[in-house]
Amino acid sequence: MTDCGCDKAKAELEEYLHRELSDEDFRDVTEHLENCEDCTGEHLVGIAMTVKMQKACQEKAPDELRSAILAQLS
Amino acid sequence: MATSVLERPRHAVGVLHPELDSSAMDDHEQVEVELDMIDAEDIRRGAKRSTLPAAELRRLFEEQAIPFMDQLYAAAMRMTRNPADAGDLVQETYAKAYSAFAQFQQGTNLKAWLYRILTNTFINGYRKNQRNPYQNTIDDLEDWQLGSAESLTQGRSTRSAEAEAIDHLPDSDVKEALQSIPEDFRLAVYLADVEGFAYQEIADIMKTPVGTVMSRLHRGRRLLRGLLADYARERGFATATSATAEPASPRSTT
Repeated sequence: MTDCGCDKAKAELEEYLHRELSDEDFRDVTEHLENCEDCTGEHLVGIAMTVKMQKACQEKAPDELRSAILAQLS
Repeated sequence: MATSVLERPRHAVGVLHPELDSSAMDDHEQVEVELDMIDAEDIRRGAKRSTLPAAELRRLFEEQAIPFMDQLYAAAMRMTRNPADAGDLVQETYAKAYSAFAQFQQGTNLKAWLYRILTNTFINGYRKNQRNPYQNTIDDLEDWQLGSAESLTQGRSTRSAEAEAIDHLPDSDVKEALQSIPEDFRLAVYLADVEGFAYQEIADIMKTPVGTVMSRLHRGRRLLRGLLADYARERGFATATSATAEPASPRSTT
């Protein structure tokens, strides 16, 4: 199989990260990443951002809010 | 039409504070407005009201919808940027969701349904109070006007340093970076990266075409990356990149 190349991979990394590619494109990009450190590095920055956001954005609803919402169900 | 929903005046204050405008509209009209805001699509598809007794609906709501409270509150915090408004927004969202819960089709995506109500309520209400005059034109900006986060010549070693620096940033920096990107970008990024919604679901929630979602995501993440690199540099982490030094200056992307 021929490598899809950096241009295609870089253009599709974000959709790759978000699992929005077709199966075929997903395989192509995966295969390219296995052989290209440059694109892999770029992909790892993307993953680092996503993981960091997920961790940083955790919140717990205040108890008063929870009580107020439960109280308004009737 | 999506635009007519966005332009609709906000009536929802009556849900939280019925004493303030109980005469503003009768119950029937109130429900119509909410249904239109919440789920015009489902209604057109022929969704029917659940015939479950009220007590059973309430039990289902507590069991299915209430567990999303922390998540909805976290999203509301990123939308409104302060705990007081976030609390009000979540409370209003639950009030609307509960009053329309008989129309929710069991077995479809409740999380997406709740986020649609949350996002609509935010856009129709809270956003008007803090409207950014540039909001409407932000999608039309050229990439160079938004600044470039990624240097095309950036090498492998600096990328791994960049990933590591992002990992070491305090959570407060990440939240601050999210707060400072344009709202539509922030919403798209939040819904995709933090909540893991599919692009089509985000398009439904934000009432915008999938192509616009992709563009907002791309630009939002790019701005975010630049800001995170700036914060990392300020904290003395070695990211070894100067790609974002002048975000507002025109530059060729070729």
